[in-house]
Amino acid sequence: MPVIKPLSGNPEGPSQYKQPSRKGKKAWRKNVDVTDVEKGLEELNDQIIKGGVIAEKKSSDLFTLDVVGDAALQKRLPKHIKKGLKADEIIAQRSAIPAVSLRKRPGDKTTDGVLPVKRQRTEYVTQKELRRLKKVADGEHESIVTVVDADHDIWDAPDQEKEIQEKLPFLPKKDKLKPPKTLRQQPISLAANGKSVPAVIKPTGGYSYNPEFADYQDRLIEASKHVVDAERKRLEELEADHIKAEAAARSRAEAEAAEARADLSEWEEDSAWEGIESGGEELSGKKKRPERKTQAQRNKIKRRKEAERKAKHEAALKKKYGQVERIDQLAEEVYEKENALQVQKIEMSDDSDDEGNDEELRRRQLGKFKLPEKDLELVLPDELEESLRRLKPEGNLLRDRFRNMLVRGKMESRRKIPFRKQAKTKVTEKWTYKDFVLG
Amino acid sequence: MGKVKKRGVAGQAKNYITRTQAVKKLQISLPDFRKLCIWKGIYPREPRNKKKVSKSATASTTFYYTKDIQYLLHEPLLAKFRDQKVLEKKISKALGRGDVSDAARFERHAARPEKTGKPRYTLNHVIRERYPTFADALRDLDDCLSMLFLFANLPSTSAVPAKMIARCERLCLEFQHYLIVSHSLRKSFLSIKGIYYQANIQGEDILWLVPYKFNQRIVGDIDFRIMGTFVEFYMTLLGFVNYRLYTSVGLKYPPKFDQLKDDQGGELGAFALEGINLATDAEATKAITNGESTEQHGPDPKVQAEVDKIVRQLKEDDTNGDKPAEADVAGDAEEAEVPSDAIDKFEPVAAGGDILPQPSYSSSDPAKLFSNFTFYLSRETPRQPLEFILRAFGCKRIGWDSVLGDGSFTTDESDPSITHQIVDRPVVQAAMEAGGDGEDNQTAQKLGPNARYPGRIYVQPQWVWDCVNDEEIKSPENYAPGAALPPHLSPFVKSKEGQYDPTLPLDAQETEAEALDAEIADGDEEEAGSDNDMDVASDNEDEDDDFGGFSGEEDEEDEEDEEEASDEDEEAATTLQRQRELEAEISGKQVKSKQVDPKMKAKLEARKELEKKAKEEAEDLERAKGMLSKKKRKLFEQMQYTNKKKSTEDEKLRAKRRKLEKELAAKKAGKA
Repeated sequence: MPVIKPLSGNPEGPSQYKQPSRKGKKAWRKNVDVTDVEKGLEELNDQIIKGGVIAEKKSSDLFTLDVVGDAALQKRLPKHIKKGLKADEIIAQRSAIPAVSLRKRPGDKTTDGVLPVKRQRTEYVTQKELRRLKKVADGEHESIVTVVDADHDIWDAPDQEKEIQEKLPFLPKKDKLKPPKTLRQQPISLAANGKSVPAVIKPTGGYSYNPEFADYQDRLIEASKHVVDAERKRLEELEADHIKAEAAARSRAEAEAAEARADLSEWEEDSAWEGIESGGEELSGKKKRPERKTQAQRNKIKRRKEAERKAKHEAALKKKYGQVERIDQLAEEVYEKENALQVQKIEMSDDSDDEGNDEELRRRQLGKFKLPEKDLELVLPDELEESLRRLKPEGNLLRDRFRNMLVRGKMESRRKIPFRKQAKTKVTEKWTYKDFVLG
Repeated sequence: MGKVKKRGVAGQAKNYITRTQAVKKLQISLPDFRKLCIWKGIYPREPRNKKKVSKSATASTTFYYTKDIQYLLHEPLLAKFRDQKVLEKKISKALGRGDVSDAARFERHAARPEKTGKPRYTLNHVIRERYPTFADALRDLDDCLSMLFLFANLPSTSAVPAKMIARCERLCLEFQHYLIVSHSLRKSFLSIKGIYYQANIQGEDILWLVPYKFNQRIVGDIDFRIMGTFVEFYMTLLGFVNYRLYTSVGLKYPPKFDQLKDDQGGELGAFALEGINLATDAEATKAITNGESTEQHGPDPKVQAEVDKIVRQLKEDDTNGDKPAEADVAGDAEEAEVPSDAIDKFEPVAAGGDILPQPSYSSSDPAKLFSNFTFYLSRETPRQPLEFILRAFGCKRIGWDSVLGDGSFTTDESDPSITHQIVDRPVVQAAMEAGGDGEDNQTAQKLGPNARYPGRIYVQPQWVWDCVNDEEIKSPENYAPGAALPPHLSPFVKSKEGQYDPTLPLDAQETEAEALDAEIADGDEEEAGSDNDMDVASDNEDEDDDFGGFSGEEDEEDEEDEEEASDEDEEAATTLQRQRELEAEISGKQVKSKQVDPKMKAKLEARKELEKKAKEEAEDLERAKGMLSKKKRKLFEQMQYTNKKKSTEDEKLRAKRRKLEKELAAKKAGKA
């Protein structure tokens, strides 16, 4: 059933906004007069403070019907009591709305009392900060995990999944992520005998600050042997390099001499003006096709090749005869070598303890780089002190731990790269004469 | 023709993945990948044939299992790494554009997860994954402890932030507190690298190495990013392990930490342990805090009562005159823990009586080793390890010089309750000579050298370690200040059969043959002694000379003799006889083989028997060797040779010791 309602909305026809334009200074907020709106709002606030908006109140709240006034009262009480004190009057003016509490709350701007330096440009980023930002952009960031104090026993924690299943059995079971079997495999130990190296190797008596003589002697002998071996190896390498360089120099000299000789002989054979001609050709800068070899040259090459072949053959023969002469000795040597290897293998395999040794490493290593050498942890005999106070600790534990990680195969060995690879620059001459402009 | 297989589809090519491929697959940077691998326990692997695995022209060096990497894809931490990567990209883009303030804003917001509402990531779930049970975690604690103790002692640098060091230190101290409360420390060893400790927690032996204080140099060739990653992981692990251990002994974790005390160098004293149970709270706190509670200054009432009882007993003994020795022994056994310089030794009442078992702490629990002593550490001793070890072995009252930090029982050196003082300074000679010149005396007086308080025992620090390792109170006279210390042996060395062990008495380690030889030689000497005193003297001199040099002629002779004995089968039995004849000739005596007494004869017989046995065994071996191939025989011979060399060395050492002991005995006898 249709209800007849009075007309709603603006009875007038559609028209433009009162504000003709939003352009210009007049349209600025500060130039628009809003005093009447403000006044109205203030009045409204006032009304709210005094107990509510009058327009919304019922008339019964606003008005009472005073049937009988008390006329006697005025006469009985003194004037000042009747009127009351001004102070009371002021205090009695209570707002119906509870006051805003004056408790201080930490806001965004609350600080610890140390005021930051007031800067005009708050957006400004200091150079130091900028450098840090650049580093962050390059991938250097602080740790992404936080280490917090343990507040529960993780090995005794209730299984949440199970609880949920018990409470809400209708929920579909979540597939549990199964770690692969390969994850449980031990890392590759780099010890020579392939046995796993313990994290902390049990120290022998030789490591004592006040060692027994026999133990100390053993260690000293072993360590000195190691050092001497290393030194000998170094010297041998040096010697080999030296010999190689010498041989190279000698052969170069020989080749040069031979060339010179050849030149000389050619010079003798060739006519003078031919030589001049060739000189002229060189000056032209063009590369000439190789000349036909003369018969003499061919013969010479042939002779040289023949001589070389012969020398080689003779050397081989000599070597062979030498070996034949001491064939028994060689066989014995090979046999010994094999035996020694076998013994070593056996000794390594049935070493009484089943722990790897972190000094003898296997040849093939993880990663590109060789493992760092172990520090020489030995107090020299003249520095050996009986007193704990005067003990000079040896070795570096940081390096020791790092190496231990590598030996146990926890990661591949790495070398510190102190500088990043720099872009190669090529210095060229600027040919300014090419930069000329016509006109 | 068989089926043609395509390359790189199955087998090793599928099982392994190169590092570059892995990094690409996970879409993170290489350093991040390394971190993730360390946390998750994914190690590089080695395919049997590298060529079959990688398809690239350049040789790849590091490989991983494909399944491991696949598993990494599910890691929640990966999301965080990727977020970080996105942030980095944003920042670098903004920087490239020149919007520095934008870049700063991105960075600032990302660093405040509490404002952005993004979660913080921890390693808790990784710990649970990698160590499914607590025992697994204990097994990996060696590395964890060594690493954290090392980092706790590092100086702070840009690579190692101070915050990390402080946390490491706190965790380590908390762990030490557990060891003290549970008395689970077993052994410790002073090495040139640092101090080794071994504890036994729930049946698991844990060994770790602690550096000496103020000694760590930071070297350049170490990747601190990797070390830091390990440390982060281990810090989380040790936190949980500590929690578990604390709750297992009924303590609250984390213990109360007093920053003020820690700043003053309180170390262990900066923590106050509390019981979980509120009712027993007060009591527990008192019992565990480091013993410096004021009411414990006086002697323990129980001990006092015990002492009184003993005194009374002794008085009664005096009046009664003779009481059975057994009662005395029992009293002594009870008294064994009362502070005294050493444990009483039981001596048989009558000569030739039974040898009584000597009392020791070896069977008693480590909680009582030092429980009745009061220690004082002089300022030159290392306080931290001493304090830890003494407390772990039951000591309640430890005082030290105020230079060594806060938290001592007393800083007053003259405190009368101190029973032991640990000193490590040389004895000043000037004070020893009372009649030195005036100057020396003056300086000596100023320094107060060698000033001793009566009624206490002065020992060097090594005494504590040796006591702990041998689980008994060592006699302090060998460790007195200025005395030449006995060698500090490693408690971790397992001695092999037949190897020379300086800690064991000779009878326990020598072989039968050796013992017999020695006895026979003794008998000879005695005879010689009865014959001619001069001869004995000359003999002794010879021996002295021998001892001075490292390789005495006699040793060599012995060696040769032994070789002969093993080589010549026929004459083995008669060798000894002949040798004695020779010796007799040299010393210019009559051969007295006819006049040997029956005891001697029996010994000789036994020796002969032994030799015969050895010979038979050798023959058996020889026969068995004949069965082997030539190659194996050679091998066997070589091994035998090395073994023999080792055993002769040990024998030599034992012989040396026997000689020494004999000399000592002779000296004692001479004095008596």
